[in-house]
Amino acid sequence: MMRPSSSRPLRHALAQPSALRPLPRTSRSLHSTCYRLNGHRASLEGSSTVNADEIAHFSRLSSLWWDETGEFGMLHKMNPVRMQFIKEKLLEIRREETDDDVEEGTVLRGLDVLDVGCGGGLLSESLARMGATTLGIDASESNIAIASLHASADPSLDITSAALSASSSHLYPGVKGKGRLVYENTSVENLLARRGPASFDVVCFMEVLEHVDNPRAFLDSCAQLVKPGGHLFLSTIARNPLSYFLTIFTAEKLLRFVEPGTHTYSKYVNPSEIISYFQTYRSPLSTAVRSAGTPWIGRVANGVPARVEAETRGIIYVPWNGEWRLSPRGEGWSEWCNYLFWVRRPKE
Amino acid sequence: MLVTTQRLTAKTIRKHLSRSAARQYASSSNVEHSDVVIVGGGPAGLALAGALGSSKVVQESMRVTLIEAGDLSKTKAWQLPPDAFSNRVSSITNASQQFLRNIGAWSYVDETRTGPVEEMQVWDGVSGARITFSAAEMSLGGQTVSELSRLTENLNLQRALLRKLEESSSVEVVDKVKVESITTDDREGSPWPLLHLSDGRVIRARLLVGADGFNSPVRTYAGIQSYGWAYDTHGIVATLFHAPRSPFMTPNTVAYQRFLPTGPIAFLPISETASTMVWSTKPHLANALKAVQPSVLVDMVNAAFRLPEVSMRYLHDRLIEAHNGGTPITSEQLREEILFREHSHSIDTHSALSSLSAAAEAGIPPEGSESYPPLVKSIQPGTVASFPLRFSHADSYVGEGKGSRTVLIGDAAHTVHPLAGQGLNLGLADAEALAKCIHDSASRGGDIGSYTSLMPYSRARYFENHKMMSAVDKLHKLYSTTAMPIVWARSVGLEVANELDTLKAALMVSAGSHRLDRTPGSIGVGLAASTLENVAKSISDAQVVGQVASGVVQSGLQQLFRTLSSRR
Ligand SMILES: Cc1cc2nc3c(=O)[nH]c(=O)nc-3n(C[C@H](O)[C@H](O)[C@H](O)COP(=O)(O)OP(=O)(O)OC[C@H]3O[C@@H](n4cnc5c(N)ncnc54)[C@H](O)[C@@H]3O)c2cc1C
Repeated sequence: MMRPSSSRPLRHALAQPSALRPLPRTSRSLHSTCYRLNGHRASLEGSSTVNADEIAHFSRLSSLWWDETGEFGMLHKMNPVRMQFIKEKLLEIRREETDDDVEEGTVLRGLDVLDVGCGGGLLSESLARMGATTLGIDASESNIAIASLHASADPSLDITSAALSASSSHLYPGVKGKGRLVYENTSVENLLARRGPASFDVVCFMEVLEHVDNPRAFLDSCAQLVKPGGHLFLSTIARNPLSYFLTIFTAEKLLRFVEPGTHTYSKYVNPSEIISYFQTYRSPLSTAVRSAGTPWIGRVANGVPARVEAETRGIIYVPWNGEWRLSPRGEGWSEWCNYLFWVRRPKE
Repeated sequence: MLVTTQRLTAKTIRKHLSRSAARQYASSSNVEHSDVVIVGGGPAGLALAGALGSSKVVQESMRVTLIEAGDLSKTKAWQLPPDAFSNRVSSITNASQQFLRNIGAWSYVDETRTGPVEEMQVWDGVSGARITFSAAEMSLGGQTVSELSRLTENLNLQRALLRKLEESSSVEVVDKVKVESITTDDREGSPWPLLHLSDGRVIRARLLVGADGFNSPVRTYAGIQSYGWAYDTHGIVATLFHAPRSPFMTPNTVAYQRFLPTGPIAFLPISETASTMVWSTKPHLANALKAVQPSVLVDMVNAAFRLPEVSMRYLHDRLIEAHNGGTPITSEQLREEILFREHSHSIDTHSALSSLSAAAEAGIPPEGSESYPPLVKSIQPGTVASFPLRFSHADSYVGEGKGSRTVLIGDAAHTVHPLAGQGLNLGLADAEALAKCIHDSASRGGDIGSYTSLMPYSRARYFENHKMMSAVDKLHKLYSTTAMPIVWARSVGLEVANELDTLKAALMVSAGSHRLDRTPGSIGVGLAASTLENVAKSISDAQVVGQVASGVVQSGLQQLFRTLSSRR
């Protein structure tokens, strides 16, 4: 009823598994959904207005992806909690290191931030609004199109000038402070090859790890992109009977919150596994000298890393409030399903 | 083939973006951007603007625009001699005052023009059952409150908010400009509201706030339905002048409200010699009352607080008769009627119940004077006005789909019967909650116009408002019955069980159960509590339901107060 009628056939098509469908997880996964465009091509071919049709098509996809009461609602609701964690953690470390009063709203300002698996741009937009110079990458061309279109409608996001040669700042009178935002259809590995290591102050990959085939190699590439003293944030799902029950049995099979097949239980990663990965992970000191620095996590007591090195926090969906809640520090049981993880690269 | 598609997509999007950039640029001459556009410069809209203006995060990252059709420079320059008062006066609860203090606006309120309410007396016009409720009885977490609420002219408050707004550079106030139409800018599949103003400006809003009163054009744009009805009742307001209270009595800090079957009449003290009136009554009576000479209205008001209900009904009939006959009742005729009526009820002309008493002036006041407001002497010219009263509640406070990026506050979201003096307070609480919601979202990089960002506001206010509104609505209905006392009491008896729940809810709302630092001193509390005891008294008086039900009600009331005082 609230949806424009023109999008209804599309929505219907989306309900079919074979049609183009930016699934919550597919959108974040690292394989391209582009070839699925085929089914849709038929109507586009032979027309002289291919471009306009395609834009209309992606606009519709974008409005579905960004429909906060629709299929991606859970993801939208999760975003404030992710941002809260990122902000709190950066603030905590900054305050630890300087005596000056650090203002809450400025912690991200001017930082180079990478959002891996940016999907429709949910996290990237928030990061850019907080003043970070943000690069969102996704292996799905369609997601990059959705994200670019959506951001271009928001005058406080400087997407066009960053992505294009033509500068478009101050398009509207009245826009205060623009966040710089770039989207790119690429993989972490490609980006690393092009940009080289230590390129970002902050690297995020939210709800991505549980979809990749080789998590060790993926973690390694992401970690390499972090500057010394920089930060790495991720969110994923723990592997245990509870998380199976909630995310696969209940959400996929029973309630169909998310498309069946979205998750693979064996790909879930436990906090302890990530912690032990970073207990041995050392960044190369420099590319010239083939030696490595100290491990990212040096001090662990009872399985909990030192607060200034790494932290795990559970996030729990509270159905009666309709929102996700960031669990207080040290509430171990809350990390049994969805959780956020932060680790810092030693300064060397 | 696959590869072609991929490349084509990337190129298309990029080209499209550059084209749309050009398009934006081309149209930039008349489309402005604003992050928060507030339509309506009433108390709710101004309070929201003030709250946003006092948030640092908002100041640094946002542009806020308030648009008001009326002339706000008149409000800003508003001034009256100390002994004259505007007829729109609202009781500002302690919670609302605290909010206004927090945003730095209360210091601009001219406190010498405000009146504290230290006690409330409410009684049933039919049975005479009465309860008093004073600030002294209220204690919250060991802290006493000195007043239940503070009567403040709406203009005094609006002027304060405007002065506060002058300080903040992040809020642009546009007045004498009307929002003529609102359209949707549906580019790239995400609808943004475009406001077309009467001065030719076009503003694209990240978030459009409807603080535009009952007939809210923003609500219409958002496609939000409103549920409700008009009461068959008008509220007459006027500024009343009277002699100061005698030195043997408490000063003029007591609010009085009598429930008549035609509606409640309230006397709200604003200075030692002036008070404001809100008389809710049937529309035809309201029309007749507005048409009579001021001296007739004075006597009617005095009688309405004092004369037994049967005689009030008679006076109403006489008034209507004369009004319809084209010869409005004269002062002499009315006094004669009242004298006759008082005499037949054996009301002595020197007693506190006499409307025409000459005794109240000097010396020792007659016994029971504290139970009635001071005798009104005159009415400030030009202050008699009336408003239709209605109950309405929007189905939702946040727009969706085509109406995305919209939110409602104040009377645009809800209107309520004035008997509990809550209308404006609910609007201020909305403004406070929405400002906090915007602040929280912005400080996490959120898009403040998004549905997800606005949900906390809706969650904080919708049911709180609904509880208070339905409690007030029930009170109105309970007392507007014209049935004979016993029949009435019986029907009341059946209602009691239901009343308990809503009243409890209403009490919690006023106590600010959602906020720890809120004090419970609001007229709403007083009224809710009074009604409950009133109901109990009427029941036992009528001896219909008897001791059992009455006991239930009274212990329920005690329970409520215990709960209330144990809250921090
Ligand atoms: C008789 C009576 C007694 C009351 N007593 C009390 C009381 O004791 N305590 C209490 O708390 N409340 C009381 N109220 C309620 C209180 O007055 C209202 O709740 C309050 O005024 C609502 O404020 P608002 O800002 O939401 O709306 P409004 O005051 O109605 O303001 C809306 C504004 O929007 C503007 N506007 C509308 N459309 C447009 C447009 N298209 N373009 C530009 N501007 C536009 C209008 O010009 C107006 O200024 C009483 C109400 C009545 C009728």
